[in-house]
Amino acid sequence: MNPLGEKYLRKEFLPFLFCPGCGDGMIVQAFLQAVDDLGCIDDLALTAGIGCSAWIGVYMNVDILKVLHGRAIPAAIGLKATQPSRKVVTFTGDGDCLAIGGNHLLHAARRNIDMTVVMVNNQIYAMTGGQVAPSTVVGSKTQTTPYGNIEKQLDGCKIALAAGATMVSRWSTAHLKPLIKTFKNALNHKGFSYIEIMSQCPVQTGRYLLGSGSPQFNLQWLKDHCVKEEDPSRWLEVESQGKIPVGDFLRIEQPEFMEEVQRMNQRVKEEQGKGGDR
Amino acid sequence: MKNAEKIEIDRRYCKGCMLCKYICPCDVFEPGQTRSDLDYLMPQPIRIENCRVCGLCESNCPDMVLTVFAKEKRKENQ
Repeated sequence: MNPLGEKYLRKEFLPFLFCPGCGDGMIVQAFLQAVDDLGCIDDLALTAGIGCSAWIGVYMNVDILKVLHGRAIPAAIGLKATQPSRKVVTFTGDGDCLAIGGNHLLHAARRNIDMTVVMVNNQIYAMTGGQVAPSTVVGSKTQTTPYGNIEKQLDGCKIALAAGATMVSRWSTAHLKPLIKTFKNALNHKGFSYIEIMSQCPVQTGRYLLGSGSPQFNLQWLKDHCVKEEDPSRWLEVESQGKIPVGDFLRIEQPEFMEEVQRMNQRVKEEQGKGGDR
Repeated sequence: MKNAEKIEIDRRYCKGCMLCKYICPCDVFEPGQTRSDLDYLMPQPIRIENCRVCGLCESNCPDMVLTVFAKEKRKENQ
């Protein structure tokens, strides 16, 4: 076990339940590296839903809420409302965040609640055996689309941008250094941060979508297909070549929801104190 | 230039995915014949003299089992 693992992992839960060569373990390590650099482990509070990637937070020695499928974001909102001093991070997958929990993502982003959503995108429902997900590419053959997927894929970053998230990034497990930097920025960002991570799943995505179950092949595929392009006006061109744009797309400051609530309470109390009680 | 003294692979948790072999720019690892406690064939750092302690294998290991120990620099003016 490397020193980072010795310091921050729950030893009683090891080994990781991830398959050999899964990107989720790399994300655990990258996140712990960012937390170690910032020294904010005691301020963290995590939430997670259901799926492979929801297990990322479970192995860290941090307070965590493991909740119903797709409901990790509402649980995080509740946590942030009651414990505003904690840095709330949600680990979720593409099925958890874009399919069953899609509505929660929209409204958490719209309200600009101070939390970080880490969405691990492996382009398939991996834990349940390789069924089609909203993020599966058109034409892919999966267990539930044996003649090819005819549905267009959903792009989480575009949704987060449109819904009003104030920090949006996408990286892959082949870009660990910029990913660690983005984690640090997100943990310090006041507002809703959405980080999508393209991750390799050799067992399901690799075997059924890409044609090889080798972890090396899958990581190389991500390296070849994730292109740094931070200008949204050029995304169509990149996507038409079959590539995935990655980078830090947006980082702006806007009024945060919990601060606005406190400000409103203060204002109403002052008005009532002046005798304006209705 | 840094050199490695030892590369430790935790045999309790290694799943033998060989991403360390793939990611290493100095060709340090080869698939070995020993099995980990989870019954996977583990990599062996057989060309440890090539290692430049870049840390890529450590940071890319999905099971966090790799640790690279760098050689301490010799004091030249002694």
